[in-house]
Amino acid sequence: MQHSLKDDYANCVKNYTNQFKDNSFRKLACNDFKSWPGPREETWRLSRLGTLSRKKIKPITPNLQKTINGKSKHIGSKIIKFVDGAYRGDLSSEMPLGVNLSSLNDSESLEYLQKLKKSNLNHHPSTNVSLSCTPSIMKLTVKKNIKVKDFFEIIYEGGEESQSVHPVLYVELEENSSLYLIERFNHFSTLAMPLQLTEIRNKASLNSIKIFNDNKETYNLSAHCVHLSEESNLNSFSLIKGGMFTRSETHAYLNGCGSKLSLNGIYISGNNQHHDLTTAIYHDVPDCISKQIVRGVLGGKSTGVFQGKVRVAQDAQRTDGQQMSRAILISENANANAKPELEIYADDVICAHGATVGELDDDQLFYLNSRGVPMDKAREILIKAFLEDMINQSVDNSLHDFVFKEAELALSSIIIKETL
Amino acid sequence: MSLLEIKNAHLKLDNKNILNGVSLSVNKGEVHAIMGPNGSGKSTLSYMLAGRDGYELEDGEILLDGKSLSEMEADERARSGLFLAFQYPVELPGVGGMSFLREAVNSRRKFLGEKELDHLAFVKEARKEASKMFVKDEMLKRAVNVGFSGGEKKRFEILQMSMLKPKVSILDETDSGLDVDALKIVSDGVNSQRNKENAIVVITHYQRLLDYIVPDFVHILSDGVIIKSGGPELALEVEKNGYSGLINAA
Repeated sequence: MQHSLKDDYANCVKNYTNQFKDNSFRKLACNDFKSWPGPREETWRLSRLGTLSRKKIKPITPNLQKTINGKSKHIGSKIIKFVDGAYRGDLSSEMPLGVNLSSLNDSESLEYLQKLKKSNLNHHPSTNVSLSCTPSIMKLTVKKNIKVKDFFEIIYEGGEESQSVHPVLYVELEENSSLYLIERFNHFSTLAMPLQLTEIRNKASLNSIKIFNDNKETYNLSAHCVHLSEESNLNSFSLIKGGMFTRSETHAYLNGCGSKLSLNGIYISGNNQHHDLTTAIYHDVPDCISKQIVRGVLGGKSTGVFQGKVRVAQDAQRTDGQQMSRAILISENANANAKPELEIYADDVICAHGATVGELDDDQLFYLNSRGVPMDKAREILIKAFLEDMINQSVDNSLHDFVFKEAELALSSIIIKETL
Repeated sequence: MSLLEIKNAHLKLDNKNILNGVSLSVNKGEVHAIMGPNGSGKSTLSYMLAGRDGYELEDGEILLDGKSLSEMEADERARSGLFLAFQYPVELPGVGGMSFLREAVNSRRKFLGEKELDHLAFVKEARKEASKMFVKDEMLKRAVNVGFSGGEKKRFEILQMSMLKPKVSILDETDSGLDVDALKIVSDGVNSQRNKENAIVVITHYQRLLDYIVPDFVHILSDGVIIKSGGPELALEVEKNGYSGLINAA
């Protein structure tokens, strides 16, 4: 029975692609999606899709008239909106000089598919399903030598119950350009499968903030593939707080000498939420740096997963790869899983990783108590500090307050519920 | 009535007897020094007084200004006027010095029925006290004790003491990790807070600190009991002959 339901979604996806004419990239992608990954697949062992696979879902047909009255105010000065997974020019800002936003044609889309198929996201369900069902692949290009001063904010919203949405984005930063990008996921659908390919050319620099704050019933299976060229830079920070089940999977390929990557993340989980930050960093050439700090706070009966792989190829000498993950459990029924993986084939490297799961530090609590601060307040101070410390390191000063408030909102709802 | 009264304190850690009947009376306006060799129970005594989890008395009693501390948690003891300056002040990454001080001071003020200080009034007061301890503004903006030198950590402890205005302060090995200049600044800070209404208990290995903070009474702690009490001259005797002579004589 379970099997047939699994096939049910695959059939829906197949039917969906039938409505398009000869869009070969959709067909090719669709052929590679047979069913949801099962628990025997190593990378999905800690984040199982059993419940999702039993839901009756079909890909959405975007309503291009739909508008969403969002409560939160915009923080970017240039807005790009996706509603039901479809880009909405009528709700988005005009692009400034040197920045281009357009949809890919069929042959470009096929190229996009091929690039993803060469990456280790080739089997990810969002790669195959979203490329089958996306209204169109949108490409945001920052032209050579253009340093964009405005903050760009992409908002993904909309969706319906029992339906899946498929926004697909391609971001290219041409040589020596720079961009600050904030992405906010506020879907209402049962399933969201955002897919992104980012290419950062020589000496270009991307700052990225992602905030996952989908509806409380939503499954979000975000997949993101990044390529870094020579002396390019990506400074990325994700905050996962919403949804029923959110997995943000990022594969970053450092394939230009001297490139730098910082791939930080926070998850704040309560109730029955399941949050998963899965990353893979591939050092394929010499002299690159990758740093990763991941922190989680878990209350209720929530589960947090961090899977972080760092692979250093034989030629990637003088790699500096640092990874540190720490989760704090503030409820006895919460669970955290950390799976750091280092695969090193080069000899001249500095690589370190550490993963801890635990409670708040007794010495720190006692120090605060000994200054008259009651236990509840002391806990709150330390949890906020645990996150703020990292937000300070990861995001631009001018966005610090916004990001911290977003984290604080999620924290307050889980701290209040815990009476340890 | 004594300001701090320790009566026959017994304490076990991991089933090992650490305090074996410590008794001590500290009156208002007095400074007491507790000296002792490594492992004599000095730090355990300070944690026990401050109310750290796991350091509960097996037997005996402690009274602060006549009130029993046994049933009070650490934070309540602190708000009641007990202060512990840590031997190793704890780093609090992400917790700013100024907001930490404000949280502590306002907890105590609330307990005393005083109005909590607003942000501006507090910053003014903190800066005034900080300058006395040679604590720069920049240090108050940093996370508590993170990246502080040994001297900075101890100065920050004494700054907290001066802002919290405790009845009884326990200074646990405050001299450890300090050079002569830093020792002088810290001692001056402590001395400036000596008055007729409060009391200070200095816990130390060495006589050196007591040249700067001159005690009224000196007690020698060994194997979890006070084996000898006297005036400042007792500290000099320790300096000259070591602890072993005193312990053997006892």
